[in-house]
Order: sequence, then C-alpha cells, then structure tokens
Amino acid sequence: MRIMENNRNNNIEDILNSLDNSQPAAAPDFFYTRLVARMERALPVKNNTGWRLKPVYVIGALLMVLAVNAVVLLKGQSETGNFTADNEESVQQSIAAEYSLNDNNSVYDLNQDK
Amino acid sequence: MNEFELIQGLRNGNEAAFKYLVDTYQDRVFNTAIGVVQNAEDAEDVAQEVFIQVFRSINQFKGESKLSTWLYRIATTRALDLLRSKKSKKRFGFIQRLFGDSNEPLLELPDFHHPGVALEKKENAAKLFRAINQLPDQQKLAFTLHKLEGLSYQEVSDVLETTVPAVESLMHRAKQNLRKMLEKDMR
Repeated sequence: MRIMENNRNNNIEDILNSLDNSQPAAAPDFFYTRLVARMERALPVKNNTGWRLKPVYVIGALLMVLAVNAVVLLKGQSETGNFTADNEESVQQSIAAEYSLNDNNSVYDLNQDK
Repeated sequence: MNEFELIQGLRNGNEAAFKYLVDTYQDRVFNTAIGVVQNAEDAEDVAQEVFIQVFRSINQFKGESKLSTWLYRIATTRALDLLRSKKSKKRFGFIQRLFGDSNEPLLELPDFHHPGVALEKKENAAKLFRAINQLPDQQKLAFTLHKLEGLSYQEVSDVLETTVPAVESLMHRAKQNLRKMLEKDMR
C-alpha cells in the first residue's frame, strides 16, 4: 500500500517537474512577414472623397456660390436699369400702338353729328 | 541598438526599429503566449496582437519598467483575454446545444504538446498542461512565466505588478492545486 502511494507521489512529482529544462518554443517561420501583412490589412482604407468634406473646401464652395449669385444679381439690376432709361418711351409707345391709344380717328367727333 | 534607441526608433515610426523589436522578442512573446493558451495558432495570433499593440501604443510606455516586462504584461493579458473569449464561446455553444439551437458537436481540446519539451517528458507535460489550464489566472501566469519562460520571481513580480513574496505565495498555491488535480486524475 505504502509502495503504491510512494509510486504515485513520485509520479506526481515527475509530472510537476516535466517542464524543467524544457526549451522555449520558437515563433513560427516568417512571423514578421505575417505580422506586417496583418498590420497592412488592418490599416484604414484611405477615402479619396474625404477631402471634399474639409472645412476649407466646404467654405470655399459656399463662397463661390455666393459670389456667382451676387454677380448674377448685380448684372441683372444694371441691365434692368439701362432698359428702363433707354427704352421706357419706346415701350410706352409700343403699348399705346398695340391698344390704339394714339389713333385720333377713333375719337368720336361729337360736333360732326350735329 | 540599446533599449533607449529602440524605444526612440519605435516612437518615430522607424520600421527598422520595429523589425529589431520583433526579431528580438518574438520567441519570448510566443513562448509566453503558448504556455497560457496552449495552442500554437492561438499563440501566434496573440503574439501578433502584442506587437501591434506595442506599435500603436509605444507613446504610452513611460519607461518605468523594462521593455521586455511591458511586452510580457501585454502578452499575458492578451492570452488571458483570448482564453476568456474561448471559454465564453464554449459556454454559449453548450447552452445552444441544450436548447437544440446548434447541431455542432462540442469539441474537447486535444492534449497540448509543447514543442520545447523533451520527447520522454511529453506525456507527463501534457498532463501538467491539462492541470495548469484549470488554475486561477494569477497562479497560471506565475507558474508558466517561471517554469516555461524561466523568469525569476523578481521578474514575474514585475510582470504581474506585485511583490516577490506574493509570487512565492502564488507559486506555492499553484503547486498545491496542481498536485491535488493530478492526484484526482490518478485515482
């Protein structure tokens, strides 16, 4: 009985000491290559459209739109002003002609009936 | 390249410094990881994660401990994280099987054979690894770092951020627990 117990204890000690003098495990071949490949895969994909959202470009685009609007408005105003000054009389004439306002023949001569 | 130059190189994003770091420490990191996770593929995965973390967070390294201590600390933390996630997956798989959601059989891990153990000791070492797997985390780390990686108690205490007497206590309890588990297996 005691011999069996001694054997068992020895066996347990052998198991407990089985890692003594073991060699360290070496990393697998091409570890660095695989590591670098993994790091490259993990890099975020560069978004080529990202520059469009930069504040400089957004503000620039807004200013450009405002400038175009301002130019169109100013140009329109000046053209309207010239049109009024130069052609107001001719417009009045053309309207009058269209509605026959200047036609004296259409005025009834009341004295003629007498 | 000394440690200071290496850290400076890493902080500057120097690829040669990173390669030097990996070449110098890859075996130590891998050996630490394989002792904890007990699987070569998982250990490589953990080792890769360690170096990626070092690359990303070298600026957070204050230099209060040695670079190797910092690497060991990251390696052990990552290895334990992987073990926890595998255990929770296994538990979830078990519950799924109970409720009939999954038909996949639960795979028991085969015995782990450490590549550095001599052939005549392989069988005993496999039994020991099976028992180590059941130890509490801190005891497991203290035992594997000391026995497998060959770190002194002082170095183990630096890695585990504790004192030398605490490591001695961890080792004592680890051996006691292992002895009990092995006795139980033999009955």
